[in-house]
Amino acid sequence: MATILELKNGTKEYRGVPAVRDVSFTLERGEVHALLGENGAGKSTLTKMLAGVVTPTAGEILLDGQPMDLRGPSDALKKGIAMVYQETSLVPSLTVAQNLYLGDAKWFNRLRGIYIAAQQFLQSLNFPVDPTALVSGLGAGQKQMVEIARAVHHKARVIIFDEPTGTLTPEEKHHFFALVKRLRARDVSIIFISHALEEALQISDRITILRDGEHVITDRTDSFDRDRIVRAMVGRTLSDELYGKAGRHRTRPAGRKVLSVQNLSMGTMVRNNTFSVFAGQITGIFGLIGSGRTETAKVIAGILKRDFFHGGQIRLEDRPVRYRVPRPAIRDGIIYVTEDRKLEGFFETMSVAENIYVAAMAGGQSRSRLVSMSEMQRLAETWTKALNVKVINSDARVIELSGGNQQKVVVSKALVQKPKLIIFDEPTRGVDVGAIAEIHQLINRLADEGMAVMVISSYLPEILHLSDRILVSRQGRIVEEFTGGQADEETIMYAAVH
Amino acid sequence: MLRAANLTQERIVLVLALVLTAGFAISLPGFLTPENLLALVRSVSVLGVLGIAMALVVIGRGIDLSLVAVMAVSLAWTLNLLANGMPLGIALLLGLGFCLLSGLITGFLVAYVEIPAIFATLAMGTFIYGFGRYFLITLDVVYLPDAARSIVWIGSGAFMGIPVPVLIFAGVCLLGALFLRYVKSGRFIRAIGDNPLAARIAGIPVRPVIVMQYALSGLIGFVAGLVTATSVASMNIRVANSTFVYDVILVVVLGGIGLSGGKGGVRNVIVGTLLIGVLINGMTIMDIQYTVQNVIKSLILLAAIVADTIINPRDEQTAQQGDI
Repeated sequence: MATILELKNGTKEYRGVPAVRDVSFTLERGEVHALLGENGAGKSTLTKMLAGVVTPTAGEILLDGQPMDLRGPSDALKKGIAMVYQETSLVPSLTVAQNLYLGDAKWFNRLRGIYIAAQQFLQSLNFPVDPTALVSGLGAGQKQMVEIARAVHHKARVIIFDEPTGTLTPEEKHHFFALVKRLRARDVSIIFISHALEEALQISDRITILRDGEHVITDRTDSFDRDRIVRAMVGRTLSDELYGKAGRHRTRPAGRKVLSVQNLSMGTMVRNNTFSVFAGQITGIFGLIGSGRTETAKVIAGILKRDFFHGGQIRLEDRPVRYRVPRPAIRDGIIYVTEDRKLEGFFETMSVAENIYVAAMAGGQSRSRLVSMSEMQRLAETWTKALNVKVINSDARVIELSGGNQQKVVVSKALVQKPKLIIFDEPTRGVDVGAIAEIHQLINRLADEGMAVMVISSYLPEILHLSDRILVSRQGRIVEEFTGGQADEETIMYAAVH
Repeated sequence: MLRAANLTQERIVLVLALVLTAGFAISLPGFLTPENLLALVRSVSVLGVLGIAMALVVIGRGIDLSLVAVMAVSLAWTLNLLANGMPLGIALLLGLGFCLLSGLITGFLVAYVEIPAIFATLAMGTFIYGFGRYFLITLDVVYLPDAARSIVWIGSGAFMGIPVPVLIFAGVCLLGALFLRYVKSGRFIRAIGDNPLAARIAGIPVRPVIVMQYALSGLIGFVAGLVTATSVASMNIRVANSTFVYDVILVVVLGGIGLSGGKGGVRNVIVGTLLIGVLINGMTIMDIQYTVQNVIKSLILLAAIVADTIINPRDEQTAQQGDI
C-alpha cells in the first residue's frame, strides 16, 4: 500500500505550550487508521494539522510524497482531505441537499435540480436521509451521514472522523461502521479518533496511540488487545481494569426511599414514568438517546416543568414536590449533573475557585449577602484536593482544563451544594480513561456514604459496573428493572430496544 | 516582547489614551494644565456614570437602550414637580421611584416575558419618553426652579478643588466595583452573563437577578440625571432621542466589556471613558467640528476592536483549549 498522507516530526504549540510534540504519522491509501489517547493527548490537534485547521509550529505535511502547505480547511478540502467534526458543521436552517451542495453553489441554484442530484447521491451511499428535510430536524446519526456525504461529494480521499460515534445510538453505529467499510473499499483513507477502544479494535487496520502530545506506538490492529492499548494510553496498568467484571462486587442494599416518581409525563418525551430511588445505593438508568432519560431527570431537578394536568407526581422523602425552577430543588437537595458541561455545566470566563464558589452561593449554605474571599479559597482547595482536579493554580480558567478535569469541576459544583439525591447524566462523556476511574470511585463513595445516587448512561459497561439497580428506559418510561449483577449486556440491551 | 495574553483590549485602549494624552500635551498648549484635566474628567463624568449602569447590564448579557430616556424623563419630572411647589425631598424620591419602577418593568419584560433585551429596552425607552412628554411635563426643556437651589452643588460645586461630578463618578465606580466583586448578586450577574443555562441549573435565581440588574441601571441613571440637571440648570428630554445612549454603549464596548456578557468590569468603563474624554477634549481645543468628532470616535472604536481581534484571536484553537 502506498502512503497517501504523512506528517513528519510535527509539533504544534499553543502559546508556547506544546499540544503535539515531534509526532510522525503516516496514513496508507485505503486504510482505516484509529487514533487513540486520553483527553489532552493531542489527537484533535494532530488531525487538525492534517486538515489544515491549524498550522504546525514545526514539521511538514506530505501529500502523495509532495510537501504541501495548507492554507486552511477549504484548501485541504480542495486537496481531498475532509474532516468530520464532533460538533457538526452543518447549517441547521437549510435542507440536507442545500447543505450538501453548499460551497459549490452557482449564482442560481435550482432547488429541484439539487434535490434530484442529492437524492441519487445519498442513495448511492445507501443513506436513508430525505434531501428535502431541514438539517435542524435530523437526529445525530443522520446529521453525521450528511456530513460524511458532503465529504464524499467533495471527492475526499482522506476523511478524518473526530469522535464520530459519541452521539450515535447502537443501531446508527452499525450503519456507520458499514459505511466506513464501504468507503475503504472505494480506496478512501480514514482517520478515526475514538474513546471507545472496542470500536477501534473492531474497525481499524492500524492503531496509533498518543500520550501527552507524544507518539507512543503505531502498529497493526491485530497485534493489539484492550490491555495493551490501555497500557499504552495511560502509561500504566489500571489496577482493576476499568469496566472489568472484577470491578463489580457486592450489591448495596436499598436504604430508605428518597424519591418516588409516579406517572410522570412531560410533552412527548416522558410518558407515565414510574420508579423509585433509594438512599445508599446507585440506581443506574440505561436507555438509548431519545428514551426520555435526561428529560425525566431534568423534570425531577426542576430544570424542565412537567405537564400541569396529568403530569403525575414526584415525592421527595414522601413529600409531594413540584418545581418550576432548579433553585428550590437544589434547596431540597436534588442536584443534577449535566451531560453537556460546555453548554450548561460551568462558567467559562471564571476560574475553578469562582465556579465552585458561585455554586456554593447559589446553593444557599450561608445566609450572608457578601462574598467571602477566604471561604472561596478554602472551598477551592478542599474540592480540587478531594476530587484530584489537576490545575496549575485555582485561578486557572475552567475552559483551559482537559475534559476530565472540567467534569470534576462540574461535579464539585454539585457536591458543594450538599445533595441528598444526586443525578449524574453521562458522568464520563468526553472524559479520559484515568479520570473515568476516578469519577467512578467517587460515585461509589457517595453511595457508600448513604447518598441516593442516580447514574444515567448510554454506555452499558459503565451501567453494569456502577449500578446496584438497573432501570431500563424506553420511549419515555422505565420498562424494566434489574438487580445489579443479575443482568448482562444482552438482556439490558434487549429491554432497551424492544 | 510583550506576551500576547497580557494585551487585552482594556490595555490597548489605556495605552491609546496615554499616547493621545502625551500627543495633545506636546502639541496643544493648555491641555496638560490641572484645570483642563479636571474639566476633561468632569465633562465625561455623566457619560462614565451611565457607562457603569450600562456595564452592569451588559455583563449580565443584556443591554439597556432605555437608560437615557429614564434619566431624562425622571429628572425632568422631578424638576417639574419642584416648580409646581412640591417639597424637594419628595420630588427627588418620586423621581427615584420612577427610575426604579421603569427598571423593574423593563426587567420583568426581559426576565419573565422573555423579550430580548434589545427590543424590550428599545420599546421601553420610546414609551418612557412619550409617556413622560405627554403626561408628566409640558415643555421639552425643564429649567431648574429656584426651589432646587440647594442641590445645585451636585452639578456645579467642588470639594477641595475637585468638581463634585468627578467625585460622584469616582464614587459610583467604587460602589460598582465593590458590588461586582463582594456582593453575591454581583457575582450572580456575571455568572448569568457567562452562561445563563449553567446559572439556572446551579440554582441562581436568574430571573430576579435580571430584574435587579435593570432596576440598578435605572437608579444609577437617576444619579447621572441629577448631575446633568444641576450642572446645566435644566433637563432637556430630547436627549432621549439623541445618539447619547450609543455613546454610553461605545464607552462600555471600547473599554473591553464584550456584549456577549460575563466579561469585564468597572476598570474597563473607566478606561473607555478616559479615552473618549481625552479625545473629545483634545478635539474641542483643536476646534474640530462635532460631526467630524463623531467620525473619529467611531474609527477609534473600530481600531480598538480590530486590534483586539488581531492580538487575541478567537478561533477554534482558543475556543477549544479544553479539548486539544
